[in-house]
Amino acid sequence: MGDRSTPTVGVIVNPAAGRDIRRLTGGASVSDNYAKRRTATCVLQGLTLAPDRIRALVMPDRADLGQRLVGGADDIDADVSLLDMQITGTPKDTRNAAEQFSDVADCVVVLGGDGTNRDVSTTIGDVPMVSISTGTNNVVPTPIDGTVAGAAAGLVATDVVDIEAVTQRHGTIEATIDGKAGSGTVSGLATMGLLDRPFIGTRAVLDVSEFVGGAVSRAFPTEIGLSGIAGGIQTCAPDDAGGLGLRFGDGPDADAHTVRAITVPGVVNTVSVSECVRIESGEPWTVSIDRGVVTADGEREREVSDAEVTFTVSDAGPQIVTIPAVFQQAVDRGVLSMQPIEQKR
Amino acid sequence: MVSIDIETEDGQKEALRRMMLIRSFDDTAGTLFADGEIPGFVHLYIGEEGVGVGACAALEPDDYITSTHRGHGHCIAKGLEPQSMMAELYGKRDGYCNGKGGSMHIADVDAGMLGANGIVGAGPPLATGAALSAAQKDEDRVALAFFGDGAVAQGQVHEAINLAATWDLPAIFLVENNQFGEGTPVEKQHNLENLSETAEAYDIPGFTIDGMDITAVYEAVQEARERARNGDGPTFIEADTYRFRGHFEGDQQPYREDDDIQEWQSRCPIDSFASRLVDAGVMTDDEVESLRAEVDEEIAAAAEYAQNADEPDPTEAYDDMYAVSVPELTMFAGRSVRADGGSPTNTDQ
Repeated sequence: MGDRSTPTVGVIVNPAAGRDIRRLTGGASVSDNYAKRRTATCVLQGLTLAPDRIRALVMPDRADLGQRLVGGADDIDADVSLLDMQITGTPKDTRNAAEQFSDVADCVVVLGGDGTNRDVSTTIGDVPMVSISTGTNNVVPTPIDGTVAGAAAGLVATDVVDIEAVTQRHGTIEATIDGKAGSGTVSGLATMGLLDRPFIGTRAVLDVSEFVGGAVSRAFPTEIGLSGIAGGIQTCAPDDAGGLGLRFGDGPDADAHTVRAITVPGVVNTVSVSECVRIESGEPWTVSIDRGVVTADGEREREVSDAEVTFTVSDAGPQIVTIPAVFQQAVDRGVLSMQPIEQKR
Repeated sequence: MVSIDIETEDGQKEALRRMMLIRSFDDTAGTLFADGEIPGFVHLYIGEEGVGVGACAALEPDDYITSTHRGHGHCIAKGLEPQSMMAELYGKRDGYCNGKGGSMHIADVDAGMLGANGIVGAGPPLATGAALSAAQKDEDRVALAFFGDGAVAQGQVHEAINLAATWDLPAIFLVENNQFGEGTPVEKQHNLENLSETAEAYDIPGFTIDGMDITAVYEAVQEARERARNGDGPTFIEADTYRFRGHFEGDQQPYREDDDIQEWQSRCPIDSFASRLVDAGVMTDDEVESLRAEVDEEIAAAAEYAQNADEPDPTEAYDDMYAVSVPELTMFAGRSVRADGGSPTNTDQ
């Protein structure tokens, strides 16, 4: 956590988020970089709601999105500057920025999709994350106005709310691969799966009927993709212990389900689930395949063959800020009204 | 039906072979050009093979493509014969354009290859025209335009996209973003990081893919083709890729660093795909190397054929220029072209 004398908010805007094939195959929203910059400017404006002046550190990027954000922040009542880091133009930038923020920031605001949030979560440690959706799958990030998100981050960073009470400790998932093409691990945040498709291709999961199995660290019908499918059977909050293990296809027993779910933005499907069971934190959930792809948070990540893939859910993920809870506490504590509620009455 | 079904193991092997064929052709063309064997300029496609083969594999055989000045890869991907291509590079009579086009103008209308092009951004208007033709004739054909990141700043490209979008034509606009317009980095050419955002201005889908991965290109073009043939209009695809060689052979490349080249070379579309096929048990390492050797032999034979092929007849210099002859050409009929480039002489004299 950062130096308490200077409340610090890290800002990560992924310029590559929200540009995949789901603009064609589904109804995924279009978020161009101009819109992302406008949203991020609103985040900086929102920081000024906090009672103390905030220092904002912005991740630079190859698209100059962060650089332009800082260049246009002269009239914002906050100390806005660029994070000092090497730019690679790859997802490493997000992970490297998050790692630096884990040392210096009191809160971090992330603009991206589930993939961006996964990258941040791998290195952000215990710094609370405010996630704004500018990507695709959007299980983790919230579609919310940047000013509101920035204001929430400012209130968290200035320590005027109880961080434990306004955040949820999100789970994570790890897939351990034991296959002909070698072993390895892939990490996920909300969902991981095994897809019966030979190639990574355009990365996005386009057809959920190709899922063989998987695991989720959270489940609710409003969450798009695997966690929405699982959530149609039983729900699991982001901070619940453990998660759910899934197998797809027409199961032989009475536990099989036929679920109606939102599987891709703009797409509603009927999905056959042969098993959907609660798995404890650390409990292995193994799925086998001849040739397929391991997915993480809606994206195809690793091709495997003759493989056993073991998914394990962990409870020790990132701290995600619950935005309404921040404002409720700010009101309850009289932070926004400048004087205690009792005196006003 | 797609031209190469990459969902099958046979299709995967053929896609790999086609990429190797392009690599070997362009390696050979580069060497022959350096030796002074090939006239004019050559712009090599080395490093970008995944885009051309992935896209053409997903098209149907009757579909059209338009190409660029860096067109050898598109030709081979569309199924043109290396032998006749090499003859064209040599300016020989048996070349695709009877030796009159050279490296930058190879075309084979019968194969749906509407031409490489020396003018940056000249392909998209041709593709829009071909798509209009398919729509007017109610044919199940799609036109795909390959063009570079530099061409995205050209006016006629936008006119072509606008018209295709307005009329819902069966077209696909595929930008090969190889990171440089000649020697200018893409970030110094455009205000957009993602060139696919161009699509939003025309109310059509636009997205960005990894052009170093043939499977990504294949899948993207398949989806775009499906949209086009359903009458829903064009799609704009940006494939991030990299040319491993200079803009042209002989380019000293002061505008980029060796480290960047090596970083991209580590993602070579051919080696990475071959390695994935080996991992998946589709091929063995030995089979991959045998395929490479077989392809190299085919290209060496094509080069030898081209070297020994007949020169064009000077009296045919003005043939093949127009579908219907124009009066200005009749005055040159039967005349040869002087080797020194001077005025034609009448061979009857």
